[in-house]
This record gives sequence, structure tokens and C-alpha cells, in this order.
Amino acid sequence: MQIESIVIKNYRVFQDVKLDRIPSMSVFVGANGSGKSTLFDILGFLRDALIHNVRQALTLRGGYKEVVTRGSNGPIELEIKFREVNGPLATYFISIGLGADGSPTVKRELLKYRRGQRGKPWHFLDFADGKGLAVTNEQDYGKPGIEEKRDQQELESADILAIKGLGQFQQYKIVSAFRKLIESWHVSDFHIGDARPSQEAGVAEHLSSRGDNLALVAQYMRERHRDVFERVLQKMSQRVPGVAKVEAVETEDGRIVLKFQDGSFKDPFIAKYVSDGTIKMFAYMLLLHDPNPHPLLCVEEPENQLYPKLLIELAEEFREYAWRGGQVFVSTHSTDFLNAMNLKEIFWLSKQKGVTVIRRASDARELEGLVTQGDLPGALWKQGLFEGADPR
Amino acid sequence: MKLVFLLEEYSMRVTLEALLPKILPTDVQHLLIDHEGKRDLEISIPRKLRAWRENDVRFVIVHDQDSADCRQLKKRLAKLCQEAGRSDALIRIACVELESWFLGDLEAVAEAFDHPQIAALKDRSKFRNPDRLANASDELRKLIPRYQKVGGARAIAPLLDFPRNRSHSFQIFLTGLRRLVGQ
Repeated sequence: MQIESIVIKNYRVFQDVKLDRIPSMSVFVGANGSGKSTLFDILGFLRDALIHNVRQALTLRGGYKEVVTRGSNGPIELEIKFREVNGPLATYFISIGLGADGSPTVKRELLKYRRGQRGKPWHFLDFADGKGLAVTNEQDYGKPGIEEKRDQQELESADILAIKGLGQFQQYKIVSAFRKLIESWHVSDFHIGDARPSQEAGVAEHLSSRGDNLALVAQYMRERHRDVFERVLQKMSQRVPGVAKVEAVETEDGRIVLKFQDGSFKDPFIAKYVSDGTIKMFAYMLLLHDPNPHPLLCVEEPENQLYPKLLIELAEEFREYAWRGGQVFVSTHSTDFLNAMNLKEIFWLSKQKGVTVIRRASDARELEGLVTQGDLPGALWKQGLFEGADPR
Repeated sequence: MKLVFLLEEYSMRVTLEALLPKILPTDVQHLLIDHEGKRDLEISIPRKLRAWRENDVRFVIVHDQDSADCRQLKKRLAKLCQEAGRSDALIRIACVELESWFLGDLEAVAEAFDHPQIAALKDRSKFRNPDRLANASDELRKLIPRYQKVGGARAIAPLLDFPRNRSHSFQIFLTGLRRLVGQ
């Protein structure tokens, strides 16, 4: 799946923002407080709203009044256009406001697909205040001359997303596919401290968003994807001086612990005593070499704790992950990371009168010209040529 | 003797890290300095050349041709060196860019990416003189869609064979360097 555009209204600093022609690899730069984290938070918000409900997703963020843009009454709106590989363009729209009793409510929720450039889109879902219509003959979608048939449905409550309420029923295949998609977004919230301790034995195929199953993922990769794991180790030894080998070892009490072998010493170090940067690089290597990429991977400031030059190749690895099928959003303050990017992969955020404006670097003619002359994007950003990106 | 290389980008550094041990005699030390693109390099050249205090140091500047006229570019760089009092600096242009050197040895590219059929393309007319291809990195990406600058350099550079490389600018780089270290 590939997200092609995002429109956000009344969500914190995003009063009315549109991101379009989003590439599979996208990098966001901007001063502190310009809204980079908020952009990622919106995707996390949608995921929370789906897994729990809208009220809980808002409560986690301080409640509706904190989330809605200052000076605005809402509603909070989010529109995402996305496409499966070679599939039709689909639109998901959600609008959230306060109900009559003052509690958060889904005012409108739509999921529609259109085939090609023409033709009427089918509304697979069209809900308002907990009630609405869902298409029941979705297997006929795209066949000529067939109209959609729709069924009236009611959700348990008005703060539940219809993609959740209906997504669990077999007959709504498209709705349920969309639901699964959002559920498998990976919005990284990596905590080095969580990745260090030993973990109870078990199986983990993917790194969790906090990274607290790192040892289990390492064990899984070594056992099930040996070649990939060997490549990860080879890269680790190139990038972190002294790291010759990493192993996930079972302890006597049935826990799994990571051990890092330094070529110069006989006994390995357990993860607890290894540097932050080493743990982080190892976690990124496992995440980015995952044989089954997440449809969307969001990582904030991957440069923290890492040696600057390492970001150049790490950036290439993020892009490779995107090429393998997982769209990637990264925010960064690293010139090295930006130097490895093309201008059309870079968006920059700036604040104007308290709200965020987002621009694409390749739309700025000056920047295009300078890169054609042989300057690198990160160098131009550092020189202040991304107008409004620097703090004032 | 010590050679100080001033380079445009990190990918050239990664390439030379793999090549230099095979070119330079063991008693010649080297230092690689990469930059953030052309302007960064050109600003850096006069300063580095003027400020260097070490004895028995020679500078090597490696610059991509890209869209520039090769002779004029070399002349301009030579002038920069001369003004900084180092007219003995060796200036070498990759025509048209680093990837042209890789296209000069498709057998290495084939091996690096485990695509044996690419090696068979080496006798196609356009690859017999890769320096003429205006956009070498695009050509390389056509062969290896997942090619990326640094990762690609890390994979290909260690496998480059010198005599069989058909990039003229690569051969000129090699001869210049060998002459400089007195071989």
C-alpha cells in the first residue's frame, strides 16, 4: 500500500494542511515545534482510534480540547488517499467532533474507491454518529453496469470507528483489509532502555514499536532468516568498531538475552553493558531488514545516539525498505541523512502565524537549480536555503 | 609520502577506501576527505591547500564532470590550486561521474549484485566507452533498479578490476596516481 495524499484539519498545529504526491520514501525537516512529531502522531492517533476508540485515542493526547487546533472549534478532519499496488485509488475520510453530550463522536466516516479516473466511486462505508450504510456486494465492485447494494448498520457507540465495527465481519472484505492495514502500521517509539533487558522466551517476528522484544526478534531472524541475519551482523561490524558478533542466548531461567562479542575479548558483553548507539543501530538493522516490511514505517529522528556519517547508509537502507513495499516516513535534523535524499523525497515544515505549513523541497526552484549544479540537499538545508525551515 | 584526497561525496570516499590499498605502495599514507557536494569541495580546496603544514604531502582532487566541460573544469580547479600555492596537486575528473567508473567494469557490477547476465552487456557499444554516457547513474539504475550511491559503491568498488575497466577517465585517474607515487 502507498499513501498518496493526506489532508489534515484542526489537529493541533495543523489547521489546514495538505500533503500530496507523497513518495514511498518521505523525509520531514523543520525547527523544533514546527509539527514534525504531530504529523507522526496523527498516524498513531488513527491507529489508536482503530484499536481502541476515538475517545481513548483523544484521552491519551490530553482530550479533545487539547488536540483540536487552538482558536478552532473543529471538527478534526483527516483524509487519506491510498492505493494498493496497481489497485484503485481509495479515500478514507474521518471527521471527529463533540456530540450533544459533549463527548467525542465520529461525525462522519467514509471509505470510497474509484476505478480509474472516471466513474462514480463506491462508498464502501458511509457513517455518521454511529449509524450508516455499508456495501454488501463488494465482490461486484468494478463490474460494468452493477450498482452498489447497501445495508443499514449501527455501531455499538458513536466513538467507535466503522472500520473497526464492521472490519471484523467476513462479508466486508475491503473494509477489513483496510483495517488490517492500519493495524500493521509501525510508528516507532524506540526506547533503548526497553531493548536492553532480557526477555521471556517466545517468538517475535517484528520489532515492537518500543523495541522491547529486540532479543526475541534477533533470535527469530537468526533461526528463520539466517542469510539476512548474517548480513545484519556484517553491517554491524562495519559500523560499530569492535562488534564482531551478536547473539541471542537463552539463560538458565528461560529468558533470552542479547550478547555482543567484541573481537578483542574472549567473553561477550550482555546488552545491559553495551553502548546506546550499538543497541540502536542493531535494532534499526533488524527493523530495516525485516523480510516482511510494514506497509508504513514512521521513525522520528533516527540520528539520535548514532555517529553522523552512519546516517548516509542508514538513509539508503530506509529507502530500500520503502522499495521492498513498506512506505517510510522519517523526520530528521541530520544533514547526512538529507544528503542521501532526493529533493522530491524531502518535505519541510515551517510555522506561519502559529500554524504549520508544509512544502516539498523539489517545488522550490532555487533548490532544484542548486542540486543540479552539484550541491547536496543537506548542505543547502544547513545553509538556510529551505526558506522558513530555520528557527527565527 | 602522504596523499590527501579531496572528494565531492561520501560515495567516492567509500570507493577509494576499497581501491587505494591496491594502488598505493605500502609506504605511502593516505587521508580521504569527503564533502557535501561540489560547492562545499570548491570552498574547501584553497583552505586545505594553504593550511596544510605536514611535510611531504601531495594533494589529489577528484571531481565529477557532470554537466561541465571537462577541460574548463580542470583548468578552473588547477587555478584554485595554483592560487593556493600547490600547483603540484593532482586533479582528476570522473567522466561523467563515479558511476561511469563502475559501468567500465560490468563484470564487477554483475558480481556485486549477483546478476551474471549483466556481464554479457559489456560488449554493447555504449558500455565500451562508458564515459560518453551522459547519465551514468541512471544507466546503472536501469541495470540494477535497487542501486544506491553508497551501498552500491560498497558492493562494487572492492570488485573493480583495473586493466579491464573501460572507463577512460578511470584509467587516467590510475595512471596519474601511479605517476604521483613514482611507480
